Amino acid sequence: MDILLIVVNVVVFLGLAPLFEGIIRKLYAKVQSRKGPPIVQPYYDLIKLLGKERLTPGNVAFKLAPMMAFASIVTVIMLVPLGFKVNILTQYADIITVIYVLTLGGVSVLLGALSSRNTYAMVGASREMITMIMVEPVLAMTLIMGALKAKGLAVSTSFFSVGDTGYGWGVALMLVVFLMALQAFVGRQPFDISEAEIEIIEGPFIEYSGPYLALFKYFMMIKQMFYAFLFVTVFMPFLQTGYYLANIGTQLGGILAVVVLISLVGSTNPRLRIEQAVRYYAVLILLSLTAVGLTVYGI
Amino acid sequence: MWLTSKIKQVLLVIKPGTVTLPYPFEPHPVPEGYRGQPSWDHHKCIGCGGCAAHCPARTIFIRDLCQDLRVMVYDGGRCTYCGRCADVCPEKAITMTKNYELATGSKKDLCTTMELFMATCNRCGRCYEMETKNAIDRMNLKGYRYDNLEMRAVLPVCTEQFDTGMLAKSDRFKRPERIGE
Amino acid sequence: MATIQALTDQLKKKFGNAVTGVENPSATQLFIDFKKEKVREICNEVLAQGGRYLVSVGTDNLAKDGTLGLIHTFAFDKEHYFLSLRTATKESEPIESITPDIPNAGWSEREYMDLLGMKFTNHPKPKKLVTADDWPSDIYPLRKEVPFNIKPLAAENVAYQLDECPEGCSIVPFGPYHPTQHEPAHFALFVDGETIKGSDYRGFMIHRGVEKLAQTQISYNEIPFLAERICGICGSVHAASYSQAVEIAVGHKISRRAEYIRTIMLEIERVHSHLLWLGVAGHLIGFDTVFMQAWRVREPIMWLGERLTGNRKTYGMIVIGGVRRDITPELKQDILNVIGTIEKEMITIKNAIIGDTAIHRRTKDVGYVSTEDTIKWSLVGPVARARNVDIDVRRDMPYAAYDEMKFSVPVVDCNDVWGTVLVRVLETFEAISIIRQALDKMPNDGPILTPFEDAVPAGMHGITAVEAPRGEVTHYVITGEENRPERWRVRAPTYPNLQGVPMMLLNNQLADVPIIIGSIDPCFSCTERMEVVDLRNGGMKVMSQSELEALSRNKR
Ligand code: SF4
Ligand code: SF4
Repeated sequence: MDILLIVVNVVVFLGLAPLFEGIIRKLYAKVQSRKGPPIVQPYYDLIKLLGKERLTPGNVAFKLAPMMAFASIVTVIMLVPLGFKVNILTQYADIITVIYVLTLGGVSVLLGALSSRNTYAMVGASREMITMIMVEPVLAMTLIMGALKAKGLAVSTSFFSVGDTGYGWGVALMLVVFLMALQAFVGRQPFDISEAEIEIIEGPFIEYSGPYLALFKYFMMIKQMFYAFLFVTVFMPFLQTGYYLANIGTQLGGILAVVVLISLVGSTNPRLRIEQAVRYYAVLILLSLTAVGLTVYGI
Repeated sequence: MWLTSKIKQVLLVIKPGTVTLPYPFEPHPVPEGYRGQPSWDHHKCIGCGGCAAHCPARTIFIRDLCQDLRVMVYDGGRCTYCGRCADVCPEKAITMTKNYELATGSKKDLCTTMELFMATCNRCGRCYEMETKNAIDRMNLKGYRYDNLEMRAVLPVCTEQFDTGMLAKSDRFKRPERIGE
Repeated sequence: MATIQALTDQLKKKFGNAVTGVENPSATQLFIDFKKEKVREICNEVLAQGGRYLVSVGTDNLAKDGTLGLIHTFAFDKEHYFLSLRTATKESEPIESITPDIPNAGWSEREYMDLLGMKFTNHPKPKKLVTADDWPSDIYPLRKEVPFNIKPLAAENVAYQLDECPEGCSIVPFGPYHPTQHEPAHFALFVDGETIKGSDYRGFMIHRGVEKLAQTQISYNEIPFLAERICGICGSVHAASYSQAVEIAVGHKISRRAEYIRTIMLEIERVHSHLLWLGVAGHLIGFDTVFMQAWRVREPIMWLGERLTGNRKTYGMIVIGGVRRDITPELKQDILNVIGTIEKEMITIKNAIIGDTAIHRRTKDVGYVSTEDTIKWSLVGPVARARNVDIDVRRDMPYAAYDEMKFSVPVVDCNDVWGTVLVRVLETFEAISIIRQALDKMPNDGPILTPFEDAVPAGMHGITAVEAPRGEVTHYVITGEENRPERWRVRAPTYPNLQGVPMMLLNNQLADVPIIIGSIDPCFSCTERMEVVDLRNGGMKVMSQSELEALSRNKR
C-alpha cells in the first residue's frame, strides 16, 4: 500500500506533466490566433528526442547534469502529498529537504551549462544563477510560513498548515507573492530570461540534444507541474474532499487553473531584462519576508 | 496603464479566433491572375525565342539541333515566376498556371523540354540568315541566344588563378555583341 | 538656401580650377566634376552648405581612359535636388578618404577598395568589407575585365581579424547564424558582464552580385525583376527606384496613371512592411502575441497584393516605363475594403501596445543616439525620424505621384527604439491615407506602360531616391552600351543604418541587442547586393557527418 501511493505520485506527475505543457502551448496558440500543436505534442517531442543520437562535448558533468536534474525532481514528486495524502516517504522529509532537492535541480542546469563551455550557455548560466538566488527565497518563505504555522518543519504538517490553521493576512500576502513569482518558477515570460531563445538561444540548453535534452525538457515540465501543485496544495486546502481519488481530481483541476493563468500571463507579456527582473524579484523577497513576519505575529 | 493595455490585448486576440489554415491538408486558395508555374503550349509556340530572350532569370534555353529542330528547355529551378515570358509571347503559348506547390526532390521535375519542328523555306531551304539579319532577333537588341544545353547543368569550375590572358582565351566571358557588328 | 545656382557659384568661387565641369540636366539633378585632390575640402563645403551624404559610387573606366571613377552623392532636402560630385583617379594613385568627416562613407570606400582596387588615404578602418576572407587580394570583381562568374580557389587560414577587444571584456558572437537575425551577419560583441562595450561587424556574407549581373548579363527591361529581388520585403521600392533612375537619366516620361499605380503599390508595401516589423519587434522582445497578431492583420494585404499583381510579395509590378497591371474599378474597391479593415485593426493594436508599460520597459531609452550623431552618421528612415531628424524623400524629393499627396511625416524625439515603434505605427496610418487619396485622384485614362521608343543612349547619369519602409533607397544609374547599364549602384537604407548600429549598441545590455538591431529593420540582403562571391569555402568538398561532428567538437 505504501509503495502504491508513491507509484501513484510518480505516475501522475510523469504522466501528466507533458499534458499540462501541451495545454499551455495550445493556450498560447489560441491567444496568438493560431491552431497550435495538438495537446499531446510534448509527448511526441519527448519520444522523438529520446530516440535521437547522443551528441556531447565529451564531458562527464555534461552527461550527468540532465540525469541529476531529472532525479532531483523525481525525488521531490515522490514525497509530496498528492491527493492531500501523505505517503511513507513524506515523513522522512522536511521542507529543508524539499528546498534542497529542488535547488539541486537548478544547480544541475548550471552544471550542464558550465560544462558545455558555450558562450551563450555561460550567459544563460549566469542569468539562471541570478534567477535562482532571487526567486528561491520566495519558495523558501512559502514553505517556512507553512512550517511556522504548523510549528514544525515536517512536510506532512507544513504543507497543510493553511488548511489546518486557516487563512490570515500573512497567507493572503504570500499567496499573491507566490502567484507573482510563479512565472519565474516555471521560466515563462516575462521571466524566461535564462533561456531567451532570441537573445541567447535557449541559454543553458544550447549544446544539449537528443535524450539529454529530453531529460531536461521533462525536468522543466515536471517542475512546472510541481510548482502549480505546490500552490494548489498549500493555498487551496478547500479542495479537499475527504476521498483520495477525488482529492487527486480536484488537485489536478486546481493545477489546470494555475496552468491557464501561467499561459495567459506568459502570452501577454514581453520578456524582461535580467536587471529589471532582479528589481522585481527583490520586491517579491521583501513582500514574502513581510508575509512570514505577519505569520509570526499570527496576523 | 499596464492593466488596461493587457485587457485591450486580450480583447484584441479574442475577436479574430483562429486564423491559421490547415494548410497541407487543404490547399490555400489562389486568386485570378496568380503567377504560378509557367506552362507551354507546344501547339501554339512558333519557336520565336522571345520568351528566352526576355527571361530575367535566363532560365529558358534554346538550341537548334539541326536546321529544322529547335529544342527549348525551361529549367524551373531558377524561375522567378515573374510572368515576363507569358507577357512577351506573341502567340500566347505560355500561361502562368496556379500551381505553386512545386517542392520536389529532383530538379528535373520542374523542367519542361519542347522539341519544335521548324519549317524551312521552300525556296532557299533556310528561313533566314541566323547571325546577322534575323528579324526576330531585332525584336530586342539582345539578339538570339544560342545556348549550350549541356553546359547549363555544369557549375562553373574553380578558376585556379586569374589572369587577364585567360579571359581572352575563354569564350564563356565574351561579351555579347550587337547584332550586325 | 543653397540652391543649385548658389551652390555652383559657391563651389566655383571657392575651388576655382578644381571644379572642371557642371551639369544640370534637370531640376533635381546637379553633377559637378572636380579634381580629386580637393575631394575632402569640397565634401566638407557641401556638408557645410546643408548637404546630406547619400552614397558613393565607384566606376571602372579603365578601358576608356585608364581611370577609376568615384562619385560622392548628396541630397539637399530643403532645396529638393541631388548633388553628385564626380571625380576620377588613376588606378595606381590613391584618393583621399572622406570618412573622417563623413563616417557613413566608410563602407562605400571600403567597398571600392575591395571591388575596384581603389586606394584611399587616411581611411580610419581600411579593412575588408565585401569580399570573402579568402578572396585573392588582386582580383577586383567589379572591374570590367573580371567575369561575373569567376571562382577563385578557396584559401585556408585567412580569417577576418576582429577589432581589438577592450580590456576586461569578453567576446559574445552574434551570428552569423542567430535567431535574432533572419539573414547571416556576424556581430562580435565586446561584453563586460552583460553590458556592451563595443562591437565589430562582419557581414556581406550573402552577396549575390546583383550589380555585376545587371552590368554584364541582363538588359534594362529585365533589371526591375532582379532589383525587386534585392529585398524580400521592400522589393517594389528597388524596382521603382531603378526604373526612375533610368527614366530620369534618359528623360523618359511615363503616364500619370502609371505614377499613381506606382504610388499605391509603394504604399501597400509600406503597410505590410511596417506590420511585419511590428511583429518581428514583438518577437525580439519575447512578446510573441504581438508578433502573431501583427502578422494576422498583415495577411489580408499580402492576399490583396496577390490579387493585384499575381504574387503576394514579389509583385513584379513596376518596370521601366510604368507598371505591368492596371487597377480596375473592382480592384480599387477591393483595396479600399482591405485597407479599411487594416486601419481598424491597426487602431486596436495601437491602443493595445501604446500604453503597455511592459513594452516601454524593453524599448524606452534603449539604443539611444543623439540627434546630432544621427545627422553626423547620415542615418535614414524611421531610425532617423525617431531621433528628431525630419527627412522623408517622399516629401523632399517627390517622385511618382507624391507631389499631389497630402501626408504628414511623423517625427518624434525619443531617440530610442520606442521612437521607431511610434514612427512606424504612425506611418502606417499615413500610408493608408495616401492609398485612399491616390485611388481617389488617379486619372482614369492613360497607358499604364510607355516603353522606350529607341535604344537608350549611353553615358547618361541618373540618381533617385525612393522612401522605402526602412528609409530611403538610392539608385544611381549610368547608362551603357549593349542595352544594359554601365554602372548601377544600389544603396539600401540598411547600408547607412547598419553602420550606426555599433553606436546604438554601446553601453546597452546584451538582452537588448536583438531589439536594437531589429529597430533599424535590417535587411542584410539589401545591403549586400554587391558582388559575386563564393563564400562556400571549399563548398565542393563533401563532408561526412562524423567528420563534421569531429570538426565542430574540436573547435575549442
Ligand atoms: S516566369 Fe519569368 S523567370 Fe520564369 S521562365 Fe518566365 S520569364 Fe523566366
Ligand atoms: S515567346 Fe511564345 S512563341 Fe516564342 S518561343 Fe516562347 S513560347 Fe514560343
